[in-house]
Amino acid sequence: MYGLEVNSNCFGCGICEEICPMDCIRTDAEEKPYLAFDECWYCGACEKECPAGALKIQIPFLIC
Amino acid sequence: MKVSYMETDVLIIGGGSAGSMAAIRLKELNRDQKVTIFEKANIKFSGSIPRGMDALNIVTVPGINTAEDYIEAQNIACEGVLDEAPSYVMAKRSWELMKELQSWGVFFPTDKAGNYEVLKTTPKGRFTVTMREPNLKTILHDRFTKLGCTVVNHTMALQLLVDNGHVAGAVGFNIRTGELIVCHAKAVILSAGGTARFGLPENGYLYGNYDCPANTGDAYSLAYRAGAELTGLEYTLRYYIVKDINCPLLYITLTRGAKLLNAIGEEVGGDHPGIKNMFDEHYDKGLGYLRIRMSHLPVEKIEAVEDILFSTEKPVLQRYFEGKGVNFRNRDIELGPTDMYLCGGHGITGVVVDTGAASTVPGLYAAGDSANVNRGHLTGAFVFGQLAAESATEYIKGISSRQCDPAPYIAEITEKCQVMEENQGFVSIEEFEYKTRRTITDYLTPPKNEYKLSRAVEIMREMKKALPRHVKVSRTHDLWKAFEVENIIDCAILSATASMERKESRWGYWHHRADYPKTDPAYTKLLIVKRGSCDDDVTTRLREPDKSISLKGGNQQ
Repeated sequence: MYGLEVNSNCFGCGICEEICPMDCIRTDAEEKPYLAFDECWYCGACEKECPAGALKIQIPFLIC
Repeated sequence: MKVSYMETDVLIIGGGSAGSMAAIRLKELNRDQKVTIFEKANIKFSGSIPRGMDALNIVTVPGINTAEDYIEAQNIACEGVLDEAPSYVMAKRSWELMKELQSWGVFFPTDKAGNYEVLKTTPKGRFTVTMREPNLKTILHDRFTKLGCTVVNHTMALQLLVDNGHVAGAVGFNIRTGELIVCHAKAVILSAGGTARFGLPENGYLYGNYDCPANTGDAYSLAYRAGAELTGLEYTLRYYIVKDINCPLLYITLTRGAKLLNAIGEEVGGDHPGIKNMFDEHYDKGLGYLRIRMSHLPVEKIEAVEDILFSTEKPVLQRYFEGKGVNFRNRDIELGPTDMYLCGGHGITGVVVDTGAASTVPGLYAAGDSANVNRGHLTGAFVFGQLAAESATEYIKGISSRQCDPAPYIAEITEKCQVMEENQGFVSIEEFEYKTRRTITDYLTPPKNEYKLSRAVEIMREMKKALPRHVKVSRTHDLWKAFEVENIIDCAILSATASMERKESRWGYWHHRADYPKTDPAYTKLLIVKRGSCDDDVTTRLREPDKSISLKGGNQQ
């Protein structure tokens, strides 16, 4: 699995979308986040700030 | 295009380490002065240090080293091309800075006798103090927030306002909504990093840079267009760190007894291998990829390394090594060359600044990777953030307000956006960026020569003209990326021009000219670039470096 893994704890608060320092996270119609652009720097801020522990950011495929 | 307006006393462009420190210092000096930060994305984890840091790279620790020692070491590292006074003031203030950081809760480990761990990372002397602070960014962020700084997130500065030769604010672009914001200010501090997205990376991932990939030379381009002097554009850096993921690892491991090996198992570089040694092994001898071996070390040392890397710097790195099946206890870590970049903190590229962080344009200051304080790393970012704040506080005392009409700037930006939105563009901005960076790599990567460098300038100028017509823009995000690529192109033109003017080789691989392979003492000078009569007119001159510290005869133990 690559990119942003979102588990069922996510309740759509949108904090991850707001604090991403590369502005590459967006939320879909169900308010679930995904990587909208291939511009992640895997800083892990989204994972850290998620209040539900719902996120796991993976290293981009081209790098790992 | 919707335009909003705001006013502030000091506008900071870029909210990373330097910008955060500048904001804090401005408010410490005068709580009543209005401080606004333009941050390209969200400031909470922005910049090259989004989370934690494992060292304060330059500290003059009483009893271990002096600021004069530091100048001596830096002159060796930079082969004499160094303005000593700014580096000296940085070194002089570094111990105070460290104490201040400690008072904010930043952790510096000590041994049982109360000594800090001070490591050797320069050709001479020991200046790097181990820091163990996984929440450095958060500490800074909380501090400037509590002090009442205004943060304008998702805003990229596109143009500095210049009123009669004085910088008077900036026009920002909201990267999500596409709206413009004009910020009138009495002074501006540029702290937007260097040009991390510059050359093409070998791993093919355009955002895996060592420095923050959001750093696209914005400060260099803004300063240049406002008429400020810049230097070090020819210092085209490549580091040699963990392959593909570009995480720093070298001295964390080597100082704990790890070995640096080449492809045939020989140890490289003695007790202090430098990047030059590594490039020699890799390119000259073809004995890359180099490897760090820790399997011989006692498990406590390995655990110490893991702790630093995985909890302090970037916790996600653990996944990288797991994914590669690399357990430090039994497998080596591969190192490789990074993509090429421009940087004030790791290199010598930046806006020329004096000992007060002032650029050559009144009202404009620079700090961190945006400023030329040779290889200043985090200490440079913090000290010059403070200096910029102190200077700006004094400067604005004499100013009631600036009346700069932003209309011409707004018109230019609006027209550019319109052209891009309405053209029948056929290329995605991602592909355009790829081609830009591929061209930079083709023609600017050392060994350089006049033919390649002049081609670089020619092609980059063509690409700058082609960009608004050829790029297909369907979202505001694309416009944002287009503005970033324009800045990357500007930096490429400055870099190629400066590289052509420096008709010698210096700094190992970083400015090696195959057509001038020797180091020429006549070039032991700063190469300054400055806007001439228009943006396309890049003027250059050589300037004697400031030697005020060495000349005082201060190089004594």
